[in-house]
Amino acid sequence: MDIQLSIQNLTKRYKTGDGVTDISLDVRKGELITLLGPSGCGKTTVLRSIGGFLEPDSGEILIENKSVLKTPPEKRPTAMVFQSYNLWPHMTVYDNLAFGLKIRKMKKAEMDFAITEVLKLIRMSGSEKKHPGELSGGQQQRIAVARALLLKPAVLLLDEPFSALDAKLRHEMREELREIQSKTGLTMVFVTHDQEEALSISDRIVVMNHGHIEQIASPQEIYDEPKSLFAAQFIGKMNFLKGVVSADQVIIQNLAFPNPKRLTGEVSIAIRPENVILQDGEETGLSGSVKQIMILGHYAEVSVDVQPFGIIRSFQPRDQVKHLHSGQKVKVNFSKALAFPAV
Amino acid sequence: MSKQSKMGVLGLLLVLPSFLVLFVIVILPVALSFKESLTNDSGGYDLSNYIYLFTDKLMRSNIIFTLTVTIISVGLVLAVSYALAVYMRFNDSAIVRWIQKMYMIPIFIPGVIATYGLIRMLGNRGWAAQFLYQFGVESMPRFIFDMKGIIIANLWFNIPFTTMLLASALTAVPNSIIESAKDVGAGMWRIFFNLILPLTYKTLLVAATFAFMGIIGSFTAPFLLGPNAPQMLGVSMQQIFGVFQDRQLASALAFFTFFLCSIMGYFYIREMTKEERGKAT
Ligand SMILES: Nc1ncnc2c1ncn2[C@@H]1O[C@H](COP(=O)(O)OP(=O)(O)O)[C@@H](O)[C@H]1O
Ligand SMILES: [Mg+2]
Repeated sequence: MDIQLSIQNLTKRYKTGDGVTDISLDVRKGELITLLGPSGCGKTTVLRSIGGFLEPDSGEILIENKSVLKTPPEKRPTAMVFQSYNLWPHMTVYDNLAFGLKIRKMKKAEMDFAITEVLKLIRMSGSEKKHPGELSGGQQQRIAVARALLLKPAVLLLDEPFSALDAKLRHEMREELREIQSKTGLTMVFVTHDQEEALSISDRIVVMNHGHIEQIASPQEIYDEPKSLFAAQFIGKMNFLKGVVSADQVIIQNLAFPNPKRLTGEVSIAIRPENVILQDGEETGLSGSVKQIMILGHYAEVSVDVQPFGIIRSFQPRDQVKHLHSGQKVKVNFSKALAFPAV
Repeated sequence: MSKQSKMGVLGLLLVLPSFLVLFVIVILPVALSFKESLTNDSGGYDLSNYIYLFTDKLMRSNIIFTLTVTIISVGLVLAVSYALAVYMRFNDSAIVRWIQKMYMIPIFIPGVIATYGLIRMLGNRGWAAQFLYQFGVESMPRFIFDMKGIIIANLWFNIPFTTMLLASALTAVPNSIIESAKDVGAGMWRIFFNLILPLTYKTLLVAATFAFMGIIGSFTAPFLLGPNAPQMLGVSMQQIFGVFQDRQLASALAFFTFFLCSIMGYFYIREMTKEERGKAT
């Protein structure tokens, strides 16, 4: 597989001590990889290092197998879509888009064609003569994406490009970006703090926390097999229970689960709501009482009060909650439980 | 009275005080001196004073001298101030912090004192000459009682404020859009000519207007260290008025100076009121 971008042991510390440590990451050609993590975990720091706006303290960055560390941003084969768009306010949309192409000495006819095409792609045909101040946030964002696309960068960097948009537009833009990616085959590094966004658009996700990488894997794998308690907490909904390992089994009260990680002593157990099974009072399981039933479209979220663990949330098919009512005694079992060392 | 006409009267009342002040301080004196300037020796009205202004050899050379000094000074002030402001905006070093603290100092030194300081420094036996003499430079170019002296004084008086204006305009150009320009491949010069200059051009014009007005009407420095002939218009005016006691000619000269400033003002206002498209962000 062709490695388009390779980051090796990248470390960047600001004077304040914040920053990122020992980031290693290979991005394949044509891949859309997402840096996901809470605000302040160092996503922008990694992205700006790739774009050349920050000088790493140590480590190596290779694009198409060539080191770019000594290359200033204006010479790097990367293009960035900034969080705050950063369009040039005194230039029209056309000039904003043409600026980079003029630097590349593209012919006028070719340039006009490319700009018309890219505006069609982002569905903003006919806006050439407008100024950024005359566009909505979503439109400015799309122009910023178009400006980067036109340069046909070896790696396209996007820093929370959709975070300022409303939910509906954000969904649309995600789909558009995915479509653009499949059309152009561009390699993209996408930064977001929104786990849903990351799950929906990425080929692979890099989960980051406190300046280091917690896990790199496909959305499926991250969701099903989070490697750390942090990844489990951060991605998707999750119930957490305390348990203990005994005779190489993870024990929660009267329930036992396998212990593939060979943990010992106290453990934290993470259970997805869809892996919670609710049964009649006679079955084995943790006893609890139904607290609340919320119908969320084709499924329902049922929260069950299980002492001494607290509230456990479960997702149930809608027709199976018809006979449930709040206060009803149930037995709670789990079809899958992930154990992590207790903190 | 309808509501609209009430609002109209209220509006008039609100602008009346400032209009009165403007009338008494600006419009009336200008009109009076214009009338004065049209008065000839025999008490009638004609353009004789203006004709004298543009035909007398000395007066003509004064006008040309004033315009030359003003244009060279404004050009130099803008060039130095802009360079200084750009340097301070895009560098962060001990030198920059030092300049930032020092460049305003000339504003706080009274004009007469600064001018005498310049004379002491650049004069025939000034300490600059003595300093150069140590290194075997026998003859210094003539600064004092020469155009060069006035220009140097103009730089001293105008650079601080102009730099301040331009520095604040440059601070308003966000780093983020410079970064995005670098990202698409723009080098230093392209960023300067395509971003920095267009985004600060209006302030540059404001600064040019202020400097022009201040220099063309300046008096202290040209009076103290300028040549006897030709003279700057301010000095010439004083002489015609005080020494020759020719009030009509002095008025004509004053009105002509006012006219030169209004040309500058016209361009200034025209640029400022140009519709600002899409600058909202
Ligand atoms: N220029 C800077 N100087 C000092 N600290 C910074 C600077 N930029 C970012 N930081 C700090 O570094 C950490 C990571 O920042 P950043 O990469 O922007 O996080 P993210 O993009 O994931 O929100 C944060 O704690 C932030 O406060
Ligand atoms: Mg960020």
